[in-house]
Amino acid sequence: MDECQSAIPAHDGDLHVVAAAHHIVKALGTTKNLSDDLRKILIDLDAHLSLITSNIDSKGGKGFVEVEERLKRVERKIVIWESDRIMIWDSGPKEVSDYLEAVDEVQTLIDSLRGLSMNENQKQKELLHRASSLLQMAMSRLEEELIHMLVKHKQQSEPTYMPSPSSQRNVVYSESVVSLDNESAKEASSKSSRSDECGEYIVDLVPEHVIPDIKSIAKVMFASDYGQEFCEAFIGVRKEALEQHFDILENGKMSIEDVLKMEWCSLSTEMNKWTWSMKIIFRVYLMSEKRLCDQVLGEFGSVNSFCFLEIAKTTILCLLNFGEAIAMGPQEPEKLLRLLDMYETLADLVLDIDALFSEDGGSFVRLEFHKLLEGLADSVKAAFNTFRVAVSSNGSLYPFPGGGVHPLSKYVMNYISMFPDYSTTLNLLLEDQHSDVASLVSEPQCGPTASLSTSCPMACHLRSITSSLESNLHKKSKLYKDEALQHIFLMNNLHYMVQKVKGSELRPFFGDEWIRKHNAKFQQHEMNYERVTWSSVVLLLKDDNPGSSSLSKSAFKEKCKGFSIAFEEVYKNQTSWCIPDPQLREDLRISTSLKVVHAYRTFLGRNPAHVDDKCIKHTVEDVEKLLLDLFEGSPRSLRNSRRMMKT
Amino acid sequence: MPATDYQASFLGRISIRRNQVIAMDGNHEQELQDLELFSKHVSERFAELLSSPDDIPCHALLSISWLRKLLDFFLCCEAEFKGVLMMGNDPSQISKPPLDRLIPEFLDRSVKALDVCNAVTNGLESVRHYQKLAEIVVSALEQKPIGDGQSRRAKKALTSLMSAMNVDDKECSAAKATERSWSFSRRGVSSKDRVPEHFRSVSNQVAKNWSAAKQIQAMTNNLVPPRGAEGSGLASPVYTMSVIMVFVMWALVAAIPCQERNGLSAIHFPAPKQLNWAQSIIGLHEKIGEEWKKKEKKGTAGLLDEMQKMEKLGNILMDFTDSFQFHGDITDQKAEEAAARSVELAETCRRMEEGLLPLQIQIREVFHRIVKTRTELLNALDQVGKSSPPLL
Repeated sequence: MDECQSAIPAHDGDLHVVAAAHHIVKALGTTKNLSDDLRKILIDLDAHLSLITSNIDSKGGKGFVEVEERLKRVERKIVIWESDRIMIWDSGPKEVSDYLEAVDEVQTLIDSLRGLSMNENQKQKELLHRASSLLQMAMSRLEEELIHMLVKHKQQSEPTYMPSPSSQRNVVYSESVVSLDNESAKEASSKSSRSDECGEYIVDLVPEHVIPDIKSIAKVMFASDYGQEFCEAFIGVRKEALEQHFDILENGKMSIEDVLKMEWCSLSTEMNKWTWSMKIIFRVYLMSEKRLCDQVLGEFGSVNSFCFLEIAKTTILCLLNFGEAIAMGPQEPEKLLRLLDMYETLADLVLDIDALFSEDGGSFVRLEFHKLLEGLADSVKAAFNTFRVAVSSNGSLYPFPGGGVHPLSKYVMNYISMFPDYSTTLNLLLEDQHSDVASLVSEPQCGPTASLSTSCPMACHLRSITSSLESNLHKKSKLYKDEALQHIFLMNNLHYMVQKVKGSELRPFFGDEWIRKHNAKFQQHEMNYERVTWSSVVLLLKDDNPGSSSLSKSAFKEKCKGFSIAFEEVYKNQTSWCIPDPQLREDLRISTSLKVVHAYRTFLGRNPAHVDDKCIKHTVEDVEKLLLDLFEGSPRSLRNSRRMMKT
Repeated sequence: MPATDYQASFLGRISIRRNQVIAMDGNHEQELQDLELFSKHVSERFAELLSSPDDIPCHALLSISWLRKLLDFFLCCEAEFKGVLMMGNDPSQISKPPLDRLIPEFLDRSVKALDVCNAVTNGLESVRHYQKLAEIVVSALEQKPIGDGQSRRAKKALTSLMSAMNVDDKECSAAKATERSWSFSRRGVSSKDRVPEHFRSVSNQVAKNWSAAKQIQAMTNNLVPPRGAEGSGLASPVYTMSVIMVFVMWALVAAIPCQERNGLSAIHFPAPKQLNWAQSIIGLHEKIGEEWKKKEKKGTAGLLDEMQKMEKLGNILMDFTDSFQFHGDITDQKAEEAAARSVELAETCRRMEEGLLPLQIQIREVFHRIVKTRTELLNALDQVGKSSPPLL
């Protein structure tokens, strides 16, 4: 502004130059399609020239006549709105541009008045005060307009396309190793949240047509040095809007103490909600908020990132704290899948978070989320380990009735069949514990020659878990007094494991070699069962003297009786046993039938002379039929059934 | 206050301790020495905090830099405490009486402290908002000459500042929600200075019915000095650390806007005066408690020195702007006075600008440290539990 002062002419002759320049400026100002910047420069120049003129005019005390006139004109334009209760921006574009022009003019006048030397000129001082008051009035008004505008338009921005989280609210993995139950595990914890990834959905938090209005207010307020007021108002409304969105996501605000005390069922729901909210808040709301800030404040430098951080911080802290509470809680095995969800969600978002908070001020946020990610990774590992420990240490005091598929097998197999969905993450997190486990599982799949899918860390861990399960099942089998039932139990459970592996995405991780080996294992138990149960029975029918053609009647009778008693004993016992898989049951019956019925038929066939009702309690057909009652899990006794057959 | 000073002294202390740990052979005498050293350090540190000169603003009691020092000391004590408790000692000790009862109680307190940390972190967001409003006041008043426009601008920001501080104090609960509703219409507003628009305050970060005062009260549950033979064993550092933790949390809540603080001054923790290390803490507790009682009646957003200064300067400047509007102009003397106050306010804002974020980060550090120690103690308990014969 020094140039302006020095430019004040001393000679009357210069006055003409000034007048001429003024004239030219005014003429240029009427030109259409000038750029905004240029027009502003011309207006400023115009103001300066007129001030110079008036200053020269006012030699002697009075003066500033034109300035005062202009001030009076804009004063009217600004003050008139003070009594009006309608918002300017609701009134129409003409009103808006008039008002903005008036504010511009006030600012120009202030700049010019300030630019002149302040020779204790009372008039100049008074005019400056008046102009500043006017500016304050206008700024106050603009702030109000801004808030009104932001509030009025924020409600319309509810994104409607997002699936509501309520669809997955019921998806709760409510079981735990402690309360082993049944098959419900599989459908209960399907990874519902993965399918409906929300991706990057930037929405208009404020309708697009309002942005230029907000921007025009920002421009004027920043130009008049009222940027702070603009920011506080902007932050205030946007922050509250974000918090409202956050509330809609129904994140119960909980203390860490509450989270640690929470029942698993509700905790699981909250963990799901967190996963969901993280995605929505970061991908949708914060991304959109960032864009809004960029649009409105992009040209004002660091103010932009400052405002964004202020808007986002409290909501972010809330999400962060729940994550921390989960990461510090006890890592029970049932938490594993939810923890994996949380970990994967955050791992997915962490780059976005880095980008959103790339400025210095945001380093706090970046750092905290990276820390949380590490914490969640540790939690996943811890939960995985407790799961493994739980599998091998789950103890029973009593044998599982009927020798069927133990709930532990069901739980473990159903649970791990969910792991392939998380294989990338699990491979990453289990990497460092890989070598320990790989040496534990001394199977060829873990060797260097194995295929990638069977040698990855997760595959080795999975097989180590199933081998823990196997040894636990062996322990459990020892609870049966009957050796045959031990084999039935192991056969059932091993068969179940193989079926689960074959019929799920687990297969590539276990490999054909594993399946072959375990097929052989359960078949071995099948054979052992037959041997233990039937060998002695069949032995009763064995021909003592292979040379002679037939037995004496009494010997025949004796053998028949012995067979009947033995058979009835087996029947009584094994009808209560259980083979849940129909195919397996069928196979075992056939091979039993082959062995027993065949031996019986041969025995009877060799002694046609003695075959009559009196000594043969069961016909071959009876035996064949009765064998079908075995392994149905409903105890029967032949005393009753036989009487019924007879009558 | 350069934070590195504390950092250096902290590391120094740790390395001294390391040497001691290496040197000691785990006998009881060494343990006693360790305990003595621990309580000696505690008493030294808190004596330093107590003797902080009130007249130097950047060291005043409950100023930002004082709080940072407090947290630094907390971290030091915590590290030493963990050393005493877990290094070199027979780990099975923590599962034997009386520690089998004291450690779980300590962990319970830790969790409560974490929630306090979160509430305070959130409260600092409000303080930051005050700072921004005060900065507007400063911007308005540093203009020369101060005219009606500047005075109005300052007054508007001051009004927002004062009511924001008041709202936060009147508890960040339901009552506030209606007050800060944005959807004011222009109809109700007739005065020339409209309702201050930028009401912004603590949103409930923690659970709805959560109360900082109750939380701290609960932390003092079962907090009794060890008696008799217990007094010479590990029960005593657990007690000491608990008192430190309760005190630090209590001081933070007193200083910084926080959810529900009714009854804060009524909390007293039983730290017997005859315990050497406790004297300074008791002294500080009494001093801050007095302050709180004085302010409790008037209502304040918190005892943070910078905030109190802000409030005081705010009141003076408010008077100034009022008289400005009443008289239309102001004497030079008054203008100078206002300018001087505004310079002070600017200085306060500067201290906040420099200190608030580091303070927030430090509270986060305390948070993470408490979590870490808790995890380590739980793991240690777990290990001990595993090595003992199973109950079945």
